[in-house]
Amino acid sequence: MKKVILSALVSLMLVSVSYAQNSEEANRLIGVWEPSHGKAKVKIDKIGDKFYGRIVWLKTAKNPETGEPRVDKNNPDESLRNTPLRGYRILKDFVYAGEDEWSEGTIYDPENGNTYSCSIKMTDENTLDIRGYIGVSALGRTDIWKRLKMPSKK
Amino acid sequence: MLYFPKSFGLLLIFSYLPFSALMAQVDSTQAEEEEDFSMYDNLEFVDESVKRFASVKVSGKSPDKLVSVGYDFQGAYGINASDFGTNTAANEQVSATHGLRFAANIPVISKNSIIIQAGLTYWNTKYEFENSDKLIHPLHKTLSENGLTTTEAAISVYKPLTETSFLLARVAAGLNGDYKLADFQPMKYNRYSVALLWGKKPLDNKQWAIGLSQTYRAGELNYLPVLMYNWTSTNRKWGVESLLPARGDVRYNFSPRSMLFAGFDLEGTSFRIGNKNELNPPFNDLELRRSELRFRLKYERQLIGFIWISAKVGYRYNYSFNVDRVENGEDFFRGFFGDQKYVMENSLTNPLFFNFSINLVSP
Repeated sequence: MKKVILSALVSLMLVSVSYAQNSEEANRLIGVWEPSHGKAKVKIDKIGDKFYGRIVWLKTAKNPETGEPRVDKNNPDESLRNTPLRGYRILKDFVYAGEDEWSEGTIYDPENGNTYSCSIKMTDENTLDIRGYIGVSALGRTDIWKRLKMPSKK
Repeated sequence: MLYFPKSFGLLLIFSYLPFSALMAQVDSTQAEEEEDFSMYDNLEFVDESVKRFASVKVSGKSPDKLVSVGYDFQGAYGINASDFGTNTAANEQVSATHGLRFAANIPVISKNSIIIQAGLTYWNTKYEFENSDKLIHPLHKTLSENGLTTTEAAISVYKPLTETSFLLARVAAGLNGDYKLADFQPMKYNRYSVALLWGKKPLDNKQWAIGLSQTYRAGELNYLPVLMYNWTSTNRKWGVESLLPARGDVRYNFSPRSMLFAGFDLEGTSFRIGNKNELNPPFNDLELRRSELRFRLKYERQLIGFIWISAKVGYRYNYSFNVDRVENGEDFFRGFFGDQKYVMENSLTNPLFFNFSINLVSP
């Protein structure tokens, strides 16, 4: 009986250590990233076991015609068209799938109001391949995002 | 025997649970409401060697079509076929020209630094003659019996060079003729189109490029300059989408999911006429140089998700319906100023047309 308890506890410890390592690997996604177009910065956070990303900076923060902060005017849901783009959550529901990949998420493109299936691959510590696709990964486009940091003191 | 106190086991279990629960509840957005966004103004890249590339996307432009299935219909018009060999000239009325149009452009590689797409096009064009059982001229007869088929495979490459400049290349091989899919014509009748452009994208809403092409848009082999210009107004309502001489449009955006276009398409290629029933050597190496200008209105809108519909209506103007003899399938260059004689110089009257397609559009 004691052997059974011992092996169960050892297994539990191994699972625990593995979970911690896995979680540490998964949390490398957390940070501020810049898409290739350079028009926005996206901060990725973890909520529960999933990862989410929201716009924290916009190159053109205000509507040039009205001078007001830019809103999500292309959203197919009319009730959301006055939501400010800064702070808007465009990456949703990513879970770490192992081997530097986060999957099962979606990405929203405020340029056209479309939401795509999305997977994220970390090609190195500071680079993400963000692949938005329709149905199957083959019907998609990959954008490369780069990690940002606070400015170094001079 | 190893002694293992029960309390130690329970301690381990309970020490594990809060830890795992803690790991599952990291929420770094708790201060979301009161976050000072100005702290993100001056961030810099961790990796200082970051290189940006000109994006292929132009804001406000209509979405690219990954897969398109459509139907094309031209109304009644006449085909005046000139004399040919022992055949005298004949004028026949076509009640309709219509057929299926399928196209797929699937990204093979699609990333910031390069986009490579593989394309496949299949068009089937049927000619419905008013007196289909009384036709005499071999051109009328083969069009009535076999119609025209286009099958084209293409590779397109978009290669950004810098943040504002790019190269665009396209190579296509087309098998066009009066063949049936069950009885493919020989590959030596393949016709190749090539285009290479260099361009700039100075703004998110403007992109232009210039280049050269080997093309059959005018029906026969030609070498033409190409001009691409895509632009959207600041208020995202108006735009231009053009790839001259193939097409040009002025666009009005009702919304990002609903657009109206006014413009034209130049459609053309060289079709091998190999009607085995009617044409014996040496008159079975013929190519119909078919080219038409289509002035039209086009309306495109999202149906659901990434499925869009497109409807065109307009006037088809015949540019060329002449026939050359192309011995053993080896094509030649006449250009606009060559003096080689056509085997047949045919004339067509011009009908109205419509086209409807359903499309899967690109992210």
